[in-house]
Amino acid sequence: MLKRLTLSHTLIIGGLLIALVAQGALAATAPRPIAQASAMHPAFAILDADGRNVLDSGQPLSIGNTCGECHDTDYITTHSFHADLGYSESQPAGQVEGGRLWDTSNGLYGKWNPILYRYLSPVGDERIDLTPTDWLKFNGARIVGGGPAQAAAGVEMNCFLCHFTNPNNAERAATLQSGNFAWANTAVLLGTGIVEKNGGGYTFNANAFDAEGNLQRAFITIQDPSNENCAQCHGVVHSTPDPLALTGRDLSQWQTATTGQIVSPQKISQSGMNLSGKEELARAWDVHAERGLQCVDCHYSLNNPVLAQTNAKTQPDSILFDPRRLDISEYLQKPSHQFARGQSAQFTVAPDLKGTMRRCESCHETAQSHSWLPYTAQHMSAVACESCHIPTVHAPAVQSVDWTVLTATGEPVIEWRGVEGESGTLNDLVTGYTPVLLKRNGIDGETTLAPYNLVTVWYWLYDSANGERPVRLGDLQAAYLVSKAEDDCAPASTGAASALIATIAFDLAPENLPTTSADTSYCPQVLRALDANGDATLTGAELRLDTLEKQAVVAKRLQSLGLRNPHLASEIQPYSINHSVARGEYAVRECAVCHSDNSRLGQAIALSGGGPTGVATQFVNDANTATDGALSVSDGVLLFTPATEGLYVFGHSRVSWVDWLGAAMVVGVLLGVAAHGGLRFFASLKTKSHAPAVKRVYMYSVYERFWHWLQTSAILLLILTGLIIHRPDMFGALSFPFIVVVHNVLAVILVVNAALSLFYHLVSGEIRQYIPHPYGFFDQAIAQAGYYLRGIFKREPHPFEKTPQKKLNPLQQVTYFGILNVLLPLQIITGAMMWGVQSFPQITAWFGGLPFLAPFHSFVAWSFAAFIIAHVYLTTTGHEPAAAMKAMMLGWDEVEDHSAQADGDPAPQPAAGD
Amino acid sequence: MNHARIWVTGLIVTLAVIVIPIIYFAPKPVQARDNPRASLPQHKTHVSHADLMPGPYATGQEVTQACLECHSDSATQVMATSHWTWESQPFTVPGRPEPVTIGKINQINNFCISAQGNQKSCMSCHAGYDWQEGAENTNLTKPENVDCLVCHAQSGYAKGQYGNPADGVDLAAAAQSVAAPTRNQCGKCHFNGGGGNGVKHGDLDETLYYPAAETDVHMGEYNLLCTDCHVTQDHQIKGRLVADNYTISPDEQVACADCHAANLHADERLNTHAQTVACQTCHIPSMATKDPTKVYWDWSTAGLGLQPDDHFEYLKIKGSFEYASNVQPAYLWFNGNLAYRYLLGDTIDPNKPTSINLPAGDIDDSAAKIFPFKLHVAKQPYDTGYNYLLAPVTAGPDGYWTTFDWDSAFRLAEERMGLKYSGNYSFAETWMYWPTTHMVQPKENALQCNDCHSANGRLDWQALGYPGDPMEWGGRFTNK
Repeated sequence: MLKRLTLSHTLIIGGLLIALVAQGALAATAPRPIAQASAMHPAFAILDADGRNVLDSGQPLSIGNTCGECHDTDYITTHSFHADLGYSESQPAGQVEGGRLWDTSNGLYGKWNPILYRYLSPVGDERIDLTPTDWLKFNGARIVGGGPAQAAAGVEMNCFLCHFTNPNNAERAATLQSGNFAWANTAVLLGTGIVEKNGGGYTFNANAFDAEGNLQRAFITIQDPSNENCAQCHGVVHSTPDPLALTGRDLSQWQTATTGQIVSPQKISQSGMNLSGKEELARAWDVHAERGLQCVDCHYSLNNPVLAQTNAKTQPDSILFDPRRLDISEYLQKPSHQFARGQSAQFTVAPDLKGTMRRCESCHETAQSHSWLPYTAQHMSAVACESCHIPTVHAPAVQSVDWTVLTATGEPVIEWRGVEGESGTLNDLVTGYTPVLLKRNGIDGETTLAPYNLVTVWYWLYDSANGERPVRLGDLQAAYLVSKAEDDCAPASTGAASALIATIAFDLAPENLPTTSADTSYCPQVLRALDANGDATLTGAELRLDTLEKQAVVAKRLQSLGLRNPHLASEIQPYSINHSVARGEYAVRECAVCHSDNSRLGQAIALSGGGPTGVATQFVNDANTATDGALSVSDGVLLFTPATEGLYVFGHSRVSWVDWLGAAMVVGVLLGVAAHGGLRFFASLKTKSHAPAVKRVYMYSVYERFWHWLQTSAILLLILTGLIIHRPDMFGALSFPFIVVVHNVLAVILVVNAALSLFYHLVSGEIRQYIPHPYGFFDQAIAQAGYYLRGIFKREPHPFEKTPQKKLNPLQQVTYFGILNVLLPLQIITGAMMWGVQSFPQITAWFGGLPFLAPFHSFVAWSFAAFIIAHVYLTTTGHEPAAAMKAMMLGWDEVEDHSAQADGDPAPQPAAGD
Repeated sequence: MNHARIWVTGLIVTLAVIVIPIIYFAPKPVQARDNPRASLPQHKTHVSHADLMPGPYATGQEVTQACLECHSDSATQVMATSHWTWESQPFTVPGRPEPVTIGKINQINNFCISAQGNQKSCMSCHAGYDWQEGAENTNLTKPENVDCLVCHAQSGYAKGQYGNPADGVDLAAAAQSVAAPTRNQCGKCHFNGGGGNGVKHGDLDETLYYPAAETDVHMGEYNLLCTDCHVTQDHQIKGRLVADNYTISPDEQVACADCHAANLHADERLNTHAQTVACQTCHIPSMATKDPTKVYWDWSTAGLGLQPDDHFEYLKIKGSFEYASNVQPAYLWFNGNLAYRYLLGDTIDPNKPTSINLPAGDIDDSAAKIFPFKLHVAKQPYDTGYNYLLAPVTAGPDGYWTTFDWDSAFRLAEERMGLKYSGNYSFAETWMYWPTTHMVQPKENALQCNDCHSANGRLDWQALGYPGDPMEWGGRFTNK
C-alpha cells in the first residue's frame, strides 16, 4: 500500500521512538552488564588539547591526547572510511565517476542523497546550500568525526561513540548542530557520570576520577562496538527481551528507513508491532542476531589478527592459511578502522574495500544444507542467498520522496511501502513488502539476483553557472512559502522562508525538529494552482505537480528567484537488503515462487503513486545492479518491472512464438489427419467393400516390439512431463521437483533404449530397413504419396507390400530417417545440455545457454507431438484400422497378399525366440 | 500364445522399466528424525461400572470393599506406593548416620510447612480414608481405607476431613462412574499443590485441565493424559518428584527420550547441547504462562491482618505472598538427585537463606545437565533456641489458623510430633527448588542461541562454573 507521510511526521515519530527503542543504547537508563565491557582496559586520564588533565583545565577533552596516549589515533583516523566519508578523494564537481554533476565525492561528504536533499555545495558555486561547516551541522548525528569534520571544525574522530557502552549521541549531535564544535566530543559522555552539563559547556565530574586524576574503573565501559553502538547511525537494533514496538518511518534510523531491515534476535511473532500475519512469523527478525552474532563479526577491522582473512587472490594455491599476522598488542596500537564491507548498491564510499566482508559462503556450507534443492549449483550461481533468505521485509521502508512540492512546513511528500495507515503510530498496519530482485554485478564478475528496495525521488534542478544543481531547500521554500506579513508573493526573494525553516536537520534533538510555523503560508499563486478543493490548504493528492500548468507555476516562482531553467528530474536508487535474514525453515522453499507464471523473478515493484507527471525517472549511475527493465503505470501507480533477459527459468520463461508455431504445427497435423480420415470414411461409404486377400506374417520380433513400446511410453511421458515443467501453472497440483526428476529419468531411459536398439539394428542388419535406397526412391515415394492422396480412398491396394524385410514404405523411411537422425539427437543433445547447466555450465554456454537451448528443446518437443499424431494415424491405413497396432503388439501382422502380382517374396520366417 | 498374455506381459515389462528407475531416483521425503506420535497411546473406553456398583454405600470403606471383590490385589498395590505411604524408600545420605526417608509424613516444605499435625486438612489429598493424627500404625494398615474413588471416580466425588469423603457425596453414583484416571483426578491434588492453584508448581496448574497447545504442547495439542507419560503398573506410577526423594533411579523417572529420539535436532549443535542442557531448559522457556504461580511466601505477617484478604497478596491465616506469571526459571546443574534435603531437626543459620532442598550436580558431573527450576522463597518460623525450623499445627480447632497464636501452634506440634520447642521463635528465609518439566511449549517457542549466549542472556555462566560464555570459551566437553 502506498501511503503518504511527511518528513515532519517521520522525524517526530523518530523522536518518540528514540525514547522507546534507542534509549537503552543511548542513555544510561539501562546499563548493560559490566561483563560486556573489557575489564582489561587500563585506567586513563582525560586530557585536553594541551595535554592537561581536564579536571584541572576544565577544557574540552581531546581524543588525540586522551586515547592517543596508547592508540595511534592518527593511524586510526586515516584508516577509516567512517571518518573519511569520501573526503580524501574529493574531486571537482562533475568528475566523480558515476556521480551527479554536483557530486564531489563517493561518500557522505560530497555525494548527494536526494532523500535528505541538502547538499554540500561544490567550490565556486554561486548559490551555496551547505558549506563544509553547515554540512557537519546537518549530518552531525551520523558523523563520527575526523576527516571532513576535523578539517571543517576540528572535530576529532570520537572513540567513545562506538566503544563506550552508553554514549550520548543525541547530545553530541545537538552540540554539533548548535555549532559548539569544541565540546561535541565531550558531550557524548553526558549521562555516563563523567561529565555534567553546565550552561553552554560541560564540566567533568571529579567523583568519576581517582586521586591521580584517572578515570575510575567503574566509569570505563570500553568495549568492542556492540550492535547498539552501530545502531546509533545505521538503523534499528533491538537486543532486549521487551517486545519491539517499532512504528518505523524514521529517517534517523537510516538503514531501517530505506530498507526495512531490523537486526534483532526477537521472534517477529513476539514483537509488539501491529504486523500482518504476525502469529505465523515464529522466525527471528534476524537469524544472525538470534545466533549471537554481532555487527563487527562480519564487518570486522581488516587488520584484526583474529578475523582477518587471507587474501585468496594473492595467495599461492599451495598455502591454505597464513599465520603471519599482527600481534594483539600491535593491533591494539594501530587497529585499522577500515571495516570489512559488502557490496551494497547504495554505499559507494571506499570502493576498493567492496566485498572484503565475509560472504555467506565463507561461513556456510551450502551444498549439503541445500541438498533438497534440485540443481543446487545452478541456483547458487544465479541467485544470491539473500533472495530466498530474506523473502519478505516486515517493516516500512521509504518508497518515494517528492521534493518537487513542499508541505506547509516545508517538507517533501514521502510515500512508505509495507504499511497501511497514516497515523504514524502502532495502530498502522505493517504489511511488509517483497523486495524486488535485481541482477547484482558482483566485484568477482559474477551476476546474481539479489533483493532490493527501490526509492524514487523527484526534485527540481536549475542551470547554475557551473552546470545543473538541485534547487536549494531555502530557494524551494521561498518559492512555495511566504511570510504571512507579505500579502503578495511576487517577486519572491531567496530566504523569504529561510528564517523560518532553513534546515531539515538529520538529527534527534526535539528542538531541532521542523515545526509548523504560524508565520508562513503558501504563496497565493502556488496555492491557486494546486488547491483543487479550494480549502486554502494543500493536502493529499493536491500536493502533486501532476499537470504541466502546475509545474509551470512553480517554475515561474523559481525563475523569479533568479534560477535559470528550473526543470524537474528524478532518480531511482536501489537499496541492498542483506540483513534481517531468515533461517532455512522460513526462507523461500516453494519452487513455484520462481518457477511459475507469477514468478518472483521479473515481478514488478511499485515505485510511486504520486510524483510529478511527465518526468522520466532513471536509475542512478553508480549502483552495481542491472537497471534494465520497464516502467509502466497501473491504477495510477508507477511500476518497475526488471528485465529477465539472459535468464531462463523453467515454468516461467518461454518464447511465445516457439509455442505458437509448435501449437500450430500440432493443430495443423490434427486437422490434416481429421480431414484425411473423414474423407476415407466417406469414401468407404461409397466404395464397395473390398476385402483384399491377406496373409499372416510374423512382422515384429519381441525385441522390436519391446523397444518400440518402451520408446512410445518414454516419449509420451516426456512430452507430458515436459509440458508440466513448461507450464506448471496449468498443473499446479503436481510437485515441480518431482516432475523434473521424472523427466530426467525418462530421458535416460529413452537414450539407453535408443542406443540399445541402434546396436540391435546395426548388428542384425535391420538398420537397412531405415535406409532409403537412392535408386528409384523418388518414384517410389511419389507412388506412396499418391496412394495416400488418391488410392487409399478408392481402397486400392498399398503400392508396396509390408514384409518383415521391408516394413517401411519409402515415405516412412524418410520420415523415420529424419526423426531418428535429426529430431531425436537434437532433443537428446539439447536436453543433456540443459541438464548439464549445473555440471558443465561452460559447455552449455557454448550452445547458447538456457535462453537458446530451452526454447529449442520445446520446439523439437512440439515436432515430436505432431509426428506422433501423424504416426498413429498412419498406422490405421492398413487393410483395417487396428491391424498395424495389433501387429506391433502381438508381432503377427496381416498384410495384403500381393504374391499374385509380385515377384514372389520369400515366405515369412518366424524369428527365433518367438 | 494368448494375445492378452502377450500385451499384458509387454505392458508390465515396459511399465516396470519406466517406473522402477523413477521410484529409485525420485526425491525422497526427508526421514523424520523423531516420531513421537508412534508413542501416542490409544485411550481405550473403560468398562462401565454403572451396573457393577449398585450401592448404596454408607462409607468410603464400603465402596473399597466392593471394588476389592473383583480387584482383590489393588488395595495392597496402592498401599505399597508413595501415594499411600507419603514417604520415600530409605536412603543412605552422606553425613547422616541412619538411612532416612523423606515425605509429607515426616518432613516439611516452605509452603504450608507440615502435613504432620494437620491431617485434618492435608489428608484431603491422601489416597486413603480416616488418617487421624497418630493413626499411621492402625488405620493405614487397613486395605479398606484405600480411597479408590479419589483417582478413579469421574464425577461426583470430593474429599473432606482426614481424607474421608466430603459430606453429602453420593458414593454409589461416584462408584458407578469409575474409569482410568484423567487430568481431572490427578490435577485435583497436583494442580493445587501447596494449597491452591499454581501455588507449589510453576508448571502444573488448573490451566492443564483444558490446556491450549501453547500452554502445553503434549496435553494441549495431542491431548495426552498424565498417565500417558506417568505409566502405571500395579498402581505404581512412574515418575518421582525430587523434592521428596534423595536419589531417584532413572528407571523410575519419566524422560523425554521415552518417546522422542535421542539426537532429534537437525542442527548438530543442538544435539551437542543435549549432553549439557536438559530438554526442558529450552523447551519450557517460561513457567506459569497463563495462571500465575507463587514465588514468595512470608509467614511472618500472618495473623497481623495487614490488609483485607486477597488470594494473590495476603491472607491473614498465611501471611503475604507474591505471585508471578511467565516466570523465567532458575537454572542449576541437576543430575536428577538432591545434594541436600532439610530434615526436621537440622540446624540452620537464620542469617542466611536455608535450602530446604538443593539439586545435585555441578559442571564436573557429566551426568548433570543445566535444568530449569522454580525457586520458591519463603520466610517461615524457626526456633531461636534450637536454631531449627518449626512445624506449626495450623489446621483444626486448636491450630494457628483458628487461634492466630504461633506459640500454641508450636507447642501443639511438640505434643503431636515430638519436635521440641524452646518457647522462642522467629522467621528465617528458606529456598526450595521445584523442577520444571511440564508445560512444554511448541517448538517454535523454544529458546534460541541468543537467549543464553548474549550480553542479555539468561544464564550466569560464572555461577554455573564456566570461565565465560561457552560459545566463546568452549564447553565442558570441548576445549576451545
